[in-house]
Amino acid sequence: MEGSREPEVSELSSAEEALLDDGVASLATTSADSWASVEQRAWWQHINLRKIALFLVSLYLFVLAIALMKDGARGLAPLVRVLFSVNSPANALGFGWLSAYLIMSGSPIAAASLTFFDAGVIDKLGAFAMINGSRLGASFIVLFIGFLYVLRGRNRATSLSMGLLSLTVTALTHVPAFLLGLWLLSRGTLDAIQMRSGALLTSATDVTIEPVAQLVTGLLPLWAVFLVGLGLSMASFSLFDRCLPQATLKESQVGWMSRLVYRPWVMFLLGCLITTISMSVSISLSILVPLSARGFVRRENVIPYIMGANIMTFVDTLLAAVLLKNPEAFTVVLVVMVSVAFICLLVLALAYNRFQHGVLAFVERVTAKSRNLAIFMVGIFLAPILLMLV
Amino acid sequence: MKILLTTHGAPHDEVALAFGAHIARGANEPATVLCVVERASDRPQAGAALKRACELLRGAEVHTKIRMGQACREIINEAEQGKYDLVIVGERPDPNLLVRFLSGSDTIRVVEHAPCPVIVAKRKTGPIVRILVCDSGAQGRLAELGPIVPERPEAVPSLLARFTAQLADLLHGEEEVTVLHVMSQISAAPGVKDKQLRAEAKELIEEHSPEGELLERDVHVLEQPGVHVWPKIRHGLVIDEILAEAQAGRYDLVVIGAHRGAGWQRILLDDIAHKILVQMDRPVLVVR
Repeated sequence: MEGSREPEVSELSSAEEALLDDGVASLATTSADSWASVEQRAWWQHINLRKIALFLVSLYLFVLAIALMKDGARGLAPLVRVLFSVNSPANALGFGWLSAYLIMSGSPIAAASLTFFDAGVIDKLGAFAMINGSRLGASFIVLFIGFLYVLRGRNRATSLSMGLLSLTVTALTHVPAFLLGLWLLSRGTLDAIQMRSGALLTSATDVTIEPVAQLVTGLLPLWAVFLVGLGLSMASFSLFDRCLPQATLKESQVGWMSRLVYRPWVMFLLGCLITTISMSVSISLSILVPLSARGFVRRENVIPYIMGANIMTFVDTLLAAVLLKNPEAFTVVLVVMVSVAFICLLVLALAYNRFQHGVLAFVERVTAKSRNLAIFMVGIFLAPILLMLV
Repeated sequence: MKILLTTHGAPHDEVALAFGAHIARGANEPATVLCVVERASDRPQAGAALKRACELLRGAEVHTKIRMGQACREIINEAEQGKYDLVIVGERPDPNLLVRFLSGSDTIRVVEHAPCPVIVAKRKTGPIVRILVCDSGAQGRLAELGPIVPERPEAVPSLLARFTAQLADLLHGEEEVTVLHVMSQISAAPGVKDKQLRAEAKELIEEHSPEGELLERDVHVLEQPGVHVWPKIRHGLVIDEILAEAQAGRYDLVVIGAHRGAGWQRILLDDIAHKILVQMDRPVLVVR
């Protein structure tokens, strides 16, 4: 469940609208008020039954969605193979990338790629490439929202900085990680590491999911079953976002916390940790915001944080692989995570300073002139189309 | 102000002594020059180094001292036992690469462990006229600060408060002081009010933004007859902008706060002061 799901977009938009309407409205202030009220209650009073129920519903919908997409994936084989000609890793990369643009979300596309692989529509390398593509597409969404603000007359640099940073860091780490992952997969280096769903999980899904899945499969054509599954996965991510606790930090409450943000390794691990819990890059980023309040984040902290978040955002795809009961699918997701993690760690250990300066300079250059921005926007739309045509 | 200078007769010590002479001459107490030797047989060299130090500090009242042991540890011990207000050291590279890699140079260790403010003198040896004070505001909690009380700087728990409370003698009424705050923030999401992310110091002060309030308080705390104080905002990466401003403004002294704690904080919290000390090409005063 990564940062660019549709529900997250709407959440971001509402936060933005609040900031637009209230002037200097501060997320931190809100969090401080709620924090103060939370402190006065006993621990059991913190338990929010509504959120627990939402979590269970979102989990059920996610598992059902995977089951439906698995059943329906075969129905889309002609579409994927013939119409979109997804026959190579490059095609699959472009396909995943464009699909994430289309539904404004990456996680459902990553899950879909596994169901295509499970149904034999695409091969292992194709699934791997499509997952990578979904992440590249997902990181575009914050930029897209920023672009809408620019069209509404807001400052170009401040509206687009975060989106550009997210997209640039993702592209710069995922492209080399993609090549590394292809090599790892072709050599079968991580094939030995596989995970199957346990007997308890299997029997639980057989009882709760299979009857519903069979009912839907009996009523609808396979391609429609897949689309229903895709829709349900998006709905489940939306519900999951709503049941997350309002985790916020405030500089004045945790003075030393603001200094954590200058340490790239600490921010990288924090990005990993928070995204493992939230399973969303943009929710992770929104937790950072109150550290410097007023909707700002520090240049120093955001890049390693995005790196960490980009790795752990695949946790839900890993869960999807387990639910598919396909050990090879699990290996594919693991290779994505390992290869992205390896590249990020390499950058952090050896060239972080240059990387940081390079990325920030690039973002500044893109936002400096309308022409540069136009070239960049055309480029990120053309790149996946060209990959699909290869 | 009680000042401790150190020497071992090395070229970097001469830079520190020449720079420190300007401060020592204006101090109301004698300065102490310390030479640390590892063995008793090194005492003659220490004597020569101290003699040279006295020449460089001509015009100031000077006491000399020799201690035996490890240089960094003895400087810190002397600073603690002598209750000095300021230690001035040269940029003393440790000849052992492994030690430098693991724990930094002797100078860095003195800065980290000294009980008082430390000036690391480098390259420049002239008088202090232009001062750059870099205030992150992290030392104080702006929301908790009361009204500005220039007569009670301790009421403002910031870098500036410590600077003025501990080192008022550094200012003789002829200095030009720039108070710098670096805004390294960018908008966290599209649509966030962005005017302040591009604003200059004057605009931020007029808007009463947190950064503006910080600068306004700093200016009030530092203002005294003859001392000209300017607030300044730069936008970008903190270390880059401080280094750039120091060079562009041709400052004689850069003042920063010491952040680093002990234990887990040493590992988890970044030490911007350390990075600035290493990269800065002019004298740096680390206030604690």
